[in-house]
Amino acid sequence: MTVNSIIEIKNVYKFFGDLAALSDVSLDIKAGEKVVIIGPSGSGKSTLLRSINRLEEISRGSIVVDGQDVHDKSSNINNIRQELGMVFQSFNLFPHKTVLENLTMAPIKLKGIDKEEAKAIAVDLLKKVGINEKANVYPSKLSGGQQQRVAIARALAMNPKIMLFDEPTSALDPEMIGEVLDVMKNLAVEGMTMVVVTHEMGFAREVADRIVFMDDGRIIACEPPETFFTCTDHPRLKQFLSQIL
Amino acid sequence: MKDKPVKIEITDGAGIPAKNDAGLISAWWISFIGAISIITYLVVTKPDPYKDILMFVPDGILVTFQVTIFSIIGASIIGLFTGLGRISKNRFFNLIASTYVEVVRGIPLLVQLFYIYYALGRVLLVPDMLSAIIAMSVCYGAYMGEVFRAGIDSIDNGQTEAARSLGFDKNQTMFLVILPQAWRTILPPVGNEFIALLKDSSLVSILAVADILRRGREFAAESFQYFETYTMIALLYLLITLILSKGVSHMEDRLNHYDR
Repeated sequence: MTVNSIIEIKNVYKFFGDLAALSDVSLDIKAGEKVVIIGPSGSGKSTLLRSINRLEEISRGSIVVDGQDVHDKSSNINNIRQELGMVFQSFNLFPHKTVLENLTMAPIKLKGIDKEEAKAIAVDLLKKVGINEKANVYPSKLSGGQQQRVAIARALAMNPKIMLFDEPTSALDPEMIGEVLDVMKNLAVEGMTMVVVTHEMGFAREVADRIVFMDDGRIIACEPPETFFTCTDHPRLKQFLSQIL
Repeated sequence: MKDKPVKIEITDGAGIPAKNDAGLISAWWISFIGAISIITYLVVTKPDPYKDILMFVPDGILVTFQVTIFSIIGASIIGLFTGLGRISKNRFFNLIASTYVEVVRGIPLLVQLFYIYYALGRVLLVPDMLSAIIAMSVCYGAYMGEVFRAGIDSIDNGQTEAARSLGFDKNQTMFLVILPQAWRTILPPVGNEFIALLKDSSLVSILAVADILRRGREFAAESFQYFETYTMIALLYLLITLILSKGVSHMEDRLNHYDR
């Protein structure tokens, strides 16, 4: 709608057989905005996030990222994905590459960046996420929290305009959640556009510009945090909040 | 009567010897040293005929190695493409690869050897050795294809998603991320296929290819010393196979430089 929306999701449907994983979802996200998506499991929040970079195909509707239609067969999805950093619940670091190689691989192969330059960028990013001393070890030697921070750095190494987070702390031991959230908060302060699927309500309250509540494939509520947690208009949201807060 | 609780015992794997278990290593050494000492003993105590056999056969060892190595290369290339075809979403490639596997697995190797040998050798005038290698490659390519497919399947889908979301296309994802990891899963069964291939290469002796077994048969036919000849042939195959299997396990160790 507005000209400066960097992600425009319009009337998106996604069917698995008869089941509608997404039904009539519309959402505009502005550059620099931080949107947190919450909801019960099976509500379609991960499906929505994954359809933004076409890891999921959608059945109807359109998703436009930075002016390019993501689900149009004629658009170059590999180029669009370079603008969209993605962080997964299960980290998905490349186990056969060292931490440094995990960060430099895509910039060297896809952007044609010089090896030494890519290394320098990678070292800076590792410093930023606080694990530069682990640059030359293999991911299996790292804790879950460290792996996830490397995964964030790997996504940042492509210098994306938008970062997508798919439950980034759900697979972590409780004492490691904080270190990952801190990295994400710093990223938010720097002005990165972020879409985050999470169960961390504290993070949502602190960082989000808007919180989206999904249930049954639909967006039920989309509010700034100040009004979200006191929102009583939606019975389903009220019930959900009463269970988790 | 009261129900008794049912107790189900499940092995926790503790009873299975680990790879570095001393018992396993000694099994290899027993076979290896055993084979060498029997060969030495026979040659020293009964130079006629054992030494004569040992002098007569080496040409064949070279041929066996040639057939095996070139077939391994051929089968690996065919196997890689077959494996990729079997997981391809392109129906055409998938169907070709799957049909090839079905057909080849349904025909005995010996029959295939005869068939390809006569088709290529007699009709297209391809040299004996080459048609034997092609026949072995085609047959083992199908089995290798299944090994490659299983190895690729074993890599978590998250790896593909991570690579694709960075912007890698399908081919880059396969060759930079999936195959380098799948190789670890693929190598042990591939090693077994290599050893099986070496042993099955003895089948080419029925064609006009002078491998170890063929040379042995020639010697036996002239000297009528069948028992002695085949004893020596069996020991030679055992030695070669043992050395190859040691080589494979060394390669496996070298691939373990990162841990999952």
